[in-house]
Amino acid sequence: MKNLTTFLINLLSAIIITLGVILYLSSHFIGLPMLIVGIGFIYLIQYKNNKKKAIQSLKSLGKALFIPFIGLVVSLIIVSIILISTGYNPLMTLKTLIYGGFIKSWHSTVLNATPLIFTGLAIGFAFNAGLFNIGAQGQYYVGTAVATAIGIYLPMPSIILIVIAYVVSMLLSASYNIIPAYLKIKTGAHEVITTMMFAQIASSLSGWWVNLMGGEDPVHKYKTDKISTDAWLMKLKDLVPLDHINYRLNVGILVAILTAFVCYFILYKTTLGFKIRAVGHNKDGAKAQGIKVNKIIFVTLLISGALAGMSGVTQVLGLEHRMTYDLSSSYGWDGISVALLASGNPIGIIFSAFLWGGIDSGGQYLERVTDIHKSIVEIMKGLILFFVVARYIYLYINTKFGITKKLFKNISHSHTP
Amino acid sequence: MNEILSLFDTQLFTTTIDFSTPIVLAAIGGVLCERGGIVNIGLEGFMNFSAFFAVVGTIATGNPWIGLVSGVIAGMIFSLIHGFATIHLHLDHVVSGAVINILSAGLTQYLLLIIYHTAGQTASVPLSLHDMKYAIPILSSIPYVGEIFFNQTPIVYIMMISVVIFTIFLNRTKLGLHLKVSGEHPMALETLGISVFKMRYLGVILSGLLCGLAGSYLSIETGSSYSENMTSGRGFIALAAVIAGRWSPIGALVASVVFGFINALQYKLQIIPALKFFPTEIFSALPYILSILAIAFAVKKSRPPKASGEDFIVERID
Amino acid sequence: MTTFLKLEKITKKFSKIVANKDVTIEVKKGEIIGLLGENGAGKSTLMNVLFGLYKPTSGRVLINDKPVKFSSPKDAKSAGLSMIHQHFMLVDNMSVTENIILGQEPNKMGFINYKEAREKVIALSHKYNLEIDPDAKIEDIAVGVQQRVEILKALFRDTKLLIMDEPTAVLTPQEVIHLFEVVRKLRADGMSVIIITHKLDEASEISDRIYILRNGELVDSCNACDVDSQMLATMMVGRDIIFKTDKKPRKETGIKSFKLQDLSYKKMDGTYAIKNLNLEIEAGEIYGIAGVDGNGQKELAEVVRGMVKEESGEIIFNEKVINKYTTLERMQNHMGYIPADRLKFGLIPAYDMASNLIIGEQDEKKYTKKTNPVWRRIVDVLDNILGEYNPVRGLSIINKKAVIENAKEVIKKYDIRPNDHTAIAGYLSGGNQQKVVVGREIERKPEFILIVQPTWGVDVGAIERIHEQILAMRDCGVCILLISLELEEIFTLSDKIAVLYEGKIVLEKPAHLTNKNEVGLYMTGGSN
Repeated sequence: MKNLTTFLINLLSAIIITLGVILYLSSHFIGLPMLIVGIGFIYLIQYKNNKKKAIQSLKSLGKALFIPFIGLVVSLIIVSIILISTGYNPLMTLKTLIYGGFIKSWHSTVLNATPLIFTGLAIGFAFNAGLFNIGAQGQYYVGTAVATAIGIYLPMPSIILIVIAYVVSMLLSASYNIIPAYLKIKTGAHEVITTMMFAQIASSLSGWWVNLMGGEDPVHKYKTDKISTDAWLMKLKDLVPLDHINYRLNVGILVAILTAFVCYFILYKTTLGFKIRAVGHNKDGAKAQGIKVNKIIFVTLLISGALAGMSGVTQVLGLEHRMTYDLSSSYGWDGISVALLASGNPIGIIFSAFLWGGIDSGGQYLERVTDIHKSIVEIMKGLILFFVVARYIYLYINTKFGITKKLFKNISHSHTP
Repeated sequence: MNEILSLFDTQLFTTTIDFSTPIVLAAIGGVLCERGGIVNIGLEGFMNFSAFFAVVGTIATGNPWIGLVSGVIAGMIFSLIHGFATIHLHLDHVVSGAVINILSAGLTQYLLLIIYHTAGQTASVPLSLHDMKYAIPILSSIPYVGEIFFNQTPIVYIMMISVVIFTIFLNRTKLGLHLKVSGEHPMALETLGISVFKMRYLGVILSGLLCGLAGSYLSIETGSSYSENMTSGRGFIALAAVIAGRWSPIGALVASVVFGFINALQYKLQIIPALKFFPTEIFSALPYILSILAIAFAVKKSRPPKASGEDFIVERID
Repeated sequence: MTTFLKLEKITKKFSKIVANKDVTIEVKKGEIIGLLGENGAGKSTLMNVLFGLYKPTSGRVLINDKPVKFSSPKDAKSAGLSMIHQHFMLVDNMSVTENIILGQEPNKMGFINYKEAREKVIALSHKYNLEIDPDAKIEDIAVGVQQRVEILKALFRDTKLLIMDEPTAVLTPQEVIHLFEVVRKLRADGMSVIIITHKLDEASEISDRIYILRNGELVDSCNACDVDSQMLATMMVGRDIIFKTDKKPRKETGIKSFKLQDLSYKKMDGTYAIKNLNLEIEAGEIYGIAGVDGNGQKELAEVVRGMVKEESGEIIFNEKVINKYTTLERMQNHMGYIPADRLKFGLIPAYDMASNLIIGEQDEKKYTKKTNPVWRRIVDVLDNILGEYNPVRGLSIINKKAVIENAKEVIKKYDIRPNDHTAIAGYLSGGNQQKVVVGREIERKPEFILIVQPTWGVDVGAIERIHEQILAMRDCGVCILLISLELEEIFTLSDKIAVLYEGKIVLEKPAHLTNKNEVGLYMTGGSN
């Protein structure tokens, strides 16, 4: 009986959370309180079952969020100082930025976050094995290129086409990491340099690919033909029977969030993840204890490539419906920041991707309504990244000046590779 | 056949030097930094930052020499961030380097706007270092070689001299020996009462200086303005040159010149009618493919500085 | 004799922990001091205070009766203090000369005068009868020679007080005698020497006076000639220590269970670390390999464990050639491993104890949840296509309950503290980390076990227990390959003793037919 009630409450909360997420992502803000209520329910059940554990998990969450929070505050203060010194009102600017990013242009935040979650996951997943896939941008290009080709040339019914596009793109963008992975294993060549070089190669070749896929069209130069509508991802406005949903929003974001949870599950609940993290923490120890380190490195880099590829596919099938020759596209690079902010935790990556997406779209809104250029957000992003990643700075300040001893005693070195 | 021979004219070699110079400079910077124990993937960011400030200095004063100095100083100051983050804040060197690159792009974008109220590109400098081209008397009149090596612009000469200077520095001087030890066995240095931190800062700042020269070369010597993303991956090729050159200035020089040569050659190849069939993009990918090959073959035999990339902590608790 | 150095009532506290309490030590000119103490007795804290790395909470340091304040090792250096660390502070790929002159380079305007430097080094080495090749690289010379380089390095910079941390740990008995001769010569020249050690016999042999530290406090100081090692041990540990571990005679089983045949291993640089090595171990026998560090021990361990691939030769276990077996397969065939460097090879320091107790077995049925048959089909099909690189092969879900249960059991059985399976392994004390490793290996019921330096960095009191556990394994019929740099340990445990020199076994004898002198001779290749 008791079990049944728990199950029902859990089920109910899950439904509420799912609905809340979908509504929230479709810019219906009623979704946010629903989400919170749902999570609250689940936490209460946890609390009832095992008080100590529930409190502990809350504590450790607080601890994990502490540094990012401080980093955010510190960098906002510095941004304010910069704004004041260049003659703007910091409070107004930040208010506009936040209003733009997280309320007014929320839909564009969601659209920005979608590819960032994937690339962030790609880089973050590799972090866990102590690898730095800095060239995710390259695998992203491969993903877009393959998805475009399939979308244009493969006549298939919708669902199958989408599945094929995903599978083939993921496979090929994963294979794009085979040579860096092989070199890493066989010669010890650092993946930072090799994946970076591969990214440069991909970006050189992307122009050629765009030409090949119909980019000669004088009207849409630097753009390929559009992919067939069969390959388009479902729009959120078709999924949710409500008004005022931006027509560009699509289910890509749901796929992204789901992928993040799958990554989390793989890393923390399966034996593969157990081995990946062991390699990340102590390569020699893992090897001595029978884990095939080379194989893990190989597989991790390939999974990482596939995740970066997913970013490209989702972007093509969901939003752009074509590939653009655009050298300033930077989801791969921004993915580095997103992954670093969350120190490689897949769930954290969802939030940092939304933060980054929000800052970007907030910047665009800011530029529309004021005379401040959006590049202020680039500085802001740089500062946030620095003050979150260089977490030792707080310990440093503490030992130098002896303030707030207790607060910072738990900070150790950063856990990223 | 004639077509192939005609490829190898003086122009090919001057272009080679043109391409190699910034890579050589940045690569020597990378060598010094890594020999001191700090891995530096932020070379790209340093270069970008100083390229911008070289233009700022030149436009403000009209004098490219002052531009050069400001570019170099900017590079050195910017390198201090990397130094502080890795040495004092014990941040992972690769992570810090990645952050440096991101920070550099953001900062220049914003400053471009604040200072010149434009996005993307600055105005041209009134006078560039290219106008300071100087032919060394006698030497420059040697046929073929003279034109290539001794009728050059200032930073190219600086590049040639710095290869010599830093080779001597590493192998013959006290400071060079200390720098090498701080990258091989920092504790050995510290126990002798020589500060590892200072040596590592020295390495980082020298790399800032050299990247400053490299960046200035791009914006006020071969170019005449700063545009976003103008370093376009050269910092990473320099990193590959560091490895392929086995962590020595001469090796870095050789590796970079090979990259420069391939790059110069690919431009030439693009014009050959017989090769028109290949898309030009394949040629522009050539240098990167070459770097990967170079790394693939060089890495196994070369031995990086032992403690490079390792955090150094002296427990000092009062 | 005048007093050169005096540490007066040194107290050092780290927030709540008292590392040193009222320690007073006096070193006279031309005197050899022995400093005894277990791990964690406060020896290294004291030295760090002396070298200006730590500021003492109270107390002061006097040199020539004048109080001094060192704020960095540099100050200590200029006062004439030098220290030879247990792990040498030498740069591997640089020459002997460069290492000796480092920091005191003869130079003109910053340019090093290598010629002058070389001559100075040669003159110094002749003066003290410390033979070295000034141009050799450190990585090419033996550990004993490296120590000479360290001593020369100290002499090169006008040292008045030389501190040596465990100087005999890496030496053969013969080399120890030579070292002591050199140290006595230094004393005759008026230099003071502090020798930090835990080897009691040696301390009483070489020292004029001995200080004993326990739990951060000075227990006693005595003249060396008045005490024997049993008394020293009691003072050091605070209770009576039985040195002789109870070793029952071995039961001859006659089953040759582990064999190495013509084993060779080539390093990356092309030189052989192990060359044509042969050995046979019976079930229920401890085969002890002695040798000076760097003669192939590390490589031998890695080859036997399957971490690196041998060049040629055969590894035979239970009459099967297991060359092709991976590390995991060797583990599954009950081949255990207790590494010297626990944190590097034995544990994942960032993982909790429960995970560390199952590492290597994570894919086994007992620790994974049952998978869906349909899913298993898919995995099988992918396995056929991708083989080893099938990413989903390892995608079984960890059975957390079983993992925790296992942990609770082992923790209880081996008395690991804290009694908490979520404790992070890296934060445990050295002794408890060793318990985790030893407990895990014993629980896996090994038939063969490779043990390297099992008491490295473990307290004197805990050594007994570990030795007992190893002997108990032997008595159960486990075949044991013991590699140790400590001759004492080899002789305490082994049934058969072999000496590894330059990758070859140069001596192999039953333990009762040999002695330390003979083994020591072979350890430096002295037999030829």
